[in-house]
Amino acid sequence: MTTHLLVATTLDEALAAMANGARPIAGGTDLVVGARVGKAPLPTELVAIDRLDELDIVGMVPGGSDDPTPLLFVGAMVSHATIMNHPLLAASYSGLADASALVGSPSTRNVGTIGGNVMNASPAMDTGAPLLAMGAMAVLQSVSGSRTVPLAELWTGPGTTSAGPDELCVAILIPRRMGEEGSAYVRLEYRRAMEIAVVGAGAAVTLNDDGTVAKAAVALTAVGPTILALTGLEELLIGTPLDDLSLSAVAMLASEQASPISDLRASDKYRRHTVGVMAKRALEAAGRRAAGETIAIPVNRAEGIGAARNAAAQNGAAK
Amino acid sequence: MTTTEIPRFVRADGPDKVTGSGRYTADLTLTGMLAAKFKYSGISHGRITRLDVTAAREMAGVLAVLTDADVPDVHYDPQIKDRTLFARDIVRFEGEIVAAVAALTPEIAEAAVAAIIVEYEELTPILDPEAAMDKSSPLVHEDWESYEAGSWLVRSGNTASFSSLERGDVDAGLAEADQIISSRYVADGSHAAPIEPRAVVAQWEGNKVTIWTSTQVPFDARAGVCETLQLPTNRVRVIVPHLGGGFGGKCGFHFEAHVAALARTAGRPVRLVFSREEEFTIPDRRREGIVVELTTGVRKDGSITARKANVVIDCGAYIADTAFFPQLAAMHAVGPYLVPNLMVESQIVYTNHQPSGSVRAPTAPQVCWALESHIDEVAKAINMDPVKFRLKNAVDTGMVGPLGQTYEEIGLRRCIQQATEAAGYGQELPENEAIGVAIGWWPSFASASGSYVKLDDDGAGQIITGAQECGTGAVMTLRQLAADELGMKPEDFEIIYQDTATGPYDMGATGSQTLLNNGRAVVEASQQIAEQLRELAADRLEAAPADIVLADGKAQVAGSPESAVPLSKLAAIAGSGKLLLGHGSGSPPVAPPIVGANCVGDQGMASWVGPQFSCHAVRLRLDPETGVTRVISVHADHDSGTIINPMGAHGQVEGAIIMGIGQALTEGTRYDETGKQMNTSLLEYKLQTAADSPSIHTQFVEVFTENAGPHGAKGLAEAPNIATAAAVANGLAKLIGSPMRQLPMTAERVWDTISEGGS
Ligand SMILES: Cc1cc2nc3c(=O)[nH]c(=O)nc-3n(C[C@H](O)[C@H](O)[C@H](O)COP(=O)(O)OP(=O)(O)OC[C@H]3O[C@@H](n4cnc5c(N)ncnc54)[C@H](O)[C@@H]3O)c2cc1C
Repeated sequence: MTTHLLVATTLDEALAAMANGARPIAGGTDLVVGARVGKAPLPTELVAIDRLDELDIVGMVPGGSDDPTPLLFVGAMVSHATIMNHPLLAASYSGLADASALVGSPSTRNVGTIGGNVMNASPAMDTGAPLLAMGAMAVLQSVSGSRTVPLAELWTGPGTTSAGPDELCVAILIPRRMGEEGSAYVRLEYRRAMEIAVVGAGAAVTLNDDGTVAKAAVALTAVGPTILALTGLEELLIGTPLDDLSLSAVAMLASEQASPISDLRASDKYRRHTVGVMAKRALEAAGRRAAGETIAIPVNRAEGIGAARNAAAQNGAAK
Repeated sequence: MTTTEIPRFVRADGPDKVTGSGRYTADLTLTGMLAAKFKYSGISHGRITRLDVTAAREMAGVLAVLTDADVPDVHYDPQIKDRTLFARDIVRFEGEIVAAVAALTPEIAEAAVAAIIVEYEELTPILDPEAAMDKSSPLVHEDWESYEAGSWLVRSGNTASFSSLERGDVDAGLAEADQIISSRYVADGSHAAPIEPRAVVAQWEGNKVTIWTSTQVPFDARAGVCETLQLPTNRVRVIVPHLGGGFGGKCGFHFEAHVAALARTAGRPVRLVFSREEEFTIPDRRREGIVVELTTGVRKDGSITARKANVVIDCGAYIADTAFFPQLAAMHAVGPYLVPNLMVESQIVYTNHQPSGSVRAPTAPQVCWALESHIDEVAKAINMDPVKFRLKNAVDTGMVGPLGQTYEEIGLRRCIQQATEAAGYGQELPENEAIGVAIGWWPSFASASGSYVKLDDDGAGQIITGAQECGTGAVMTLRQLAADELGMKPEDFEIIYQDTATGPYDMGATGSQTLLNNGRAVVEASQQIAEQLRELAADRLEAAPADIVLADGKAQVAGSPESAVPLSKLAAIAGSGKLLLGHGSGSPPVAPPIVGANCVGDQGMASWVGPQFSCHAVRLRLDPETGVTRVISVHADHDSGTIINPMGAHGQVEGAIIMGIGQALTEGTRYDETGKQMNTSLLEYKLQTAADSPSIHTQFVEVFTENAGPHGAKGLAEAPNIATAAAVANGLAKLIGSPMRQLPMTAERVWDTISEGGS
């Protein structure tokens, strides 16, 4: 049970509290709900970071000395509702917006944050796959300094990260998406709200002028101990168009590399199959976006995913 | 129909509920109140070898710890007395209550529960109802023969209740067929899942106890308390604050006696509030799992020659209110079809699962799903369109039904025609879309029921009724009936209800019966007042009472509206003399006789008062790569007799359809190999959400039936929950090419079926 709760008004205050053993609480939608269902008791010391306005910012920042490409800065306290409705994110970092738009319900999205989603490190988290596909990094800060960690190195297992107990995630950085880049996230869901990804996939694609693939990355949700980056994509895709053939090859690759478990939501066999389907759908949507097509956020709804594809538009009348 | 076309009828309890000013049982706080917690068996089957509550009793802050030794030696349950309040010797499911604690706080109560020592000799759980029917199977109740039980019940070993329906010669009928189609369907159990988990508060004053409880059936709850604690009915008062949904799950007597017993021992009021997990696992109100085997003989011209069926229902550990389920399920294995020769055997069988009980249209959605899937198979076998097949074989006005009941005016065929036409059945659809069609039927339940109506001296009305609300709005509609009789407005009446000490008996919010039975009582009570008002008005207007019309809040002479007197004036006169008091109950309608059929284990379910009919046409879209199904629209046509409150009626159909889609696709209880439930949270037990809801188009086929409720109204709360899952199944079967054999038809099961190339 929590005996001390500090509502931090400055970042330094929050970092000091963490140095003294306090756990941060952002929206509390994982931490508090998890405690109520008996996952883990509430920490004895908590520091609330929801009043730190400097963590609730979205904007571009200059790149570092080794790579001068500007970076997108998404403060840790930015909510899923902000992300899904943010014009810049929706237009150029659509995969992240797709993911945030699927989280829980309107109230979960209003309160839940990107920092909480990333640091909670659930292999079923929705923002993880698109962030990993886009090469995102976490900025971790403590009283003794700040460092930037690629997400692939941040997540170490279900619910665990390489961040120290005194390190606060202050932001997520995403390398700037060039004009030709598109991204998307799709997930398999049995219902359209209050759902947890059965499996999911995020993709980021850059196309050459001739429409063939210049660069592509795919990451998978809920098929391993952490979000899983697909390897060996380059050999399959670079220089080829995103057609049925290449997409099916990616689906097979995703099914092969997945190491899903069986649980109440699905068997390992079903997850292995469907994660391939999600991977190819995410990649296809990312490719279409890269080619300039507008697909509404989230792809799941625009494409009627969760039932047959491309039919939603024809049946606009059906709720 | 859009909502703007539906006459508005605002519920009297609506503002309280949506603004949060309404109070539910868990909101009640009484001075000195303690918290209750139960110690559960946690295993599905075992013999208690040691039970020691000493440590728990000695804990600071613990005021009462009760076990079987501390309450009267009583076996209860309505039709088979197979149960005691606390486990005695044997535990038969994971939620068996071994002990109960009342303590100063929930935390202390929980610690005390943990301090109770129970040791078991574990017994093999009996989990498969079909295997449990075997003579060699171990028994869930070794002493079943010694239990007091209704003499009409056919029981044997684990088979708690058996029924058969027989007509004609089924073998001869099958011999006449051009084709014989056999199929087997298995439906998993599911849950009512009301949004409010159960709560009970009990407080004694002297030798009388008041119990506030989230029940749909306050009089049943009272009867259970009286039976188990051996008290006369006039010393037990059951009050239901606002009820947060029930769907049948809160029918029956549950934990009221445990909490009352704790409060008596502790000498303080006690409150029990269930967690969501307890709400899923503890009450004896799971929707039953059912295995249905069907064989139909059919001629090339589409006429059915015979039906043979076997239905096996998973009872779980105790009978609760399910003894009549076999016959009801058997009726659904026949369906509203002309079947000249039939033999249906149906049984409910004890297992070590959580006990089953009435959930919205018990047995019907599952058996209808099986039958209607089978009917589509039959139609396909003879190359006939399944809707045409239904129109050919469905019962209709003036016909003799499969159990020999002759139907007055009924609207089933019109339901089929209208729903399929409105849904665009037969039109070209986009790829991966289909329309599935299914029909259903359901009885209206006649029962004793009472109400008082009074007008006070200012002319304001009160309805004091035993009726109970569970979200249907049926109680609210009583105001409309009283208003119609007295020429007043519904808003002129307040309702005093949900309290066994003020209202006369009513069966409760169960069996879709409120309007049917209590409506009759309110009409009768109102008519008595109307009579009084006419006499009073006749005196003043110098006319015969028979010529007085009550309308617009006035009593007036027929044909001369200028000769009128306001009802408030008449009420004021009555207020200083003979008061305006009415009381009604009336005689329940009687089901017509059945002719030419034979029922073993008859539960009175083979002939129906006010039979209701429905047809649902569901348009859906399948994602063949994942098996995920989305319902796009549902066209629902219902014959539930006269519709008295259209707004409430549409609400019932819409809610039931969404519940039906959940049963079809995403709900369903999952057990581990020891019979314990695994999906006991709302994350893993997937109800449909608002975001999943399809567009729903409801039409009522209103045909007047004498043998029903007030103004020809039949029930409505359960009927719309019956055909949806079946219609979803038939749509899916078209897209997959073969029927789904298991309910729910989850995405993974659909994908499995597609991958196997059909079943
Ligand atoms: C009903 C419901 C539905 C949900 N649906 C989804 C869904 O569809 N998809 C999905 O991905 N998730 C879902 N979630 C989970 C949750 O809402 C998200 O993960 C959300 O983003 C968590 O953010 P939060 O701010 O609430 O985190 P919190 O609960 O406040 O924190 C989560 C964890 O991260 C730590 N933490 C938080 N912020 C920081 C920080 N800045 N630095 C370091 N550590 C930090 C906390 O100490 C805690 O351990 C759902 C939750 C609920 C209750």
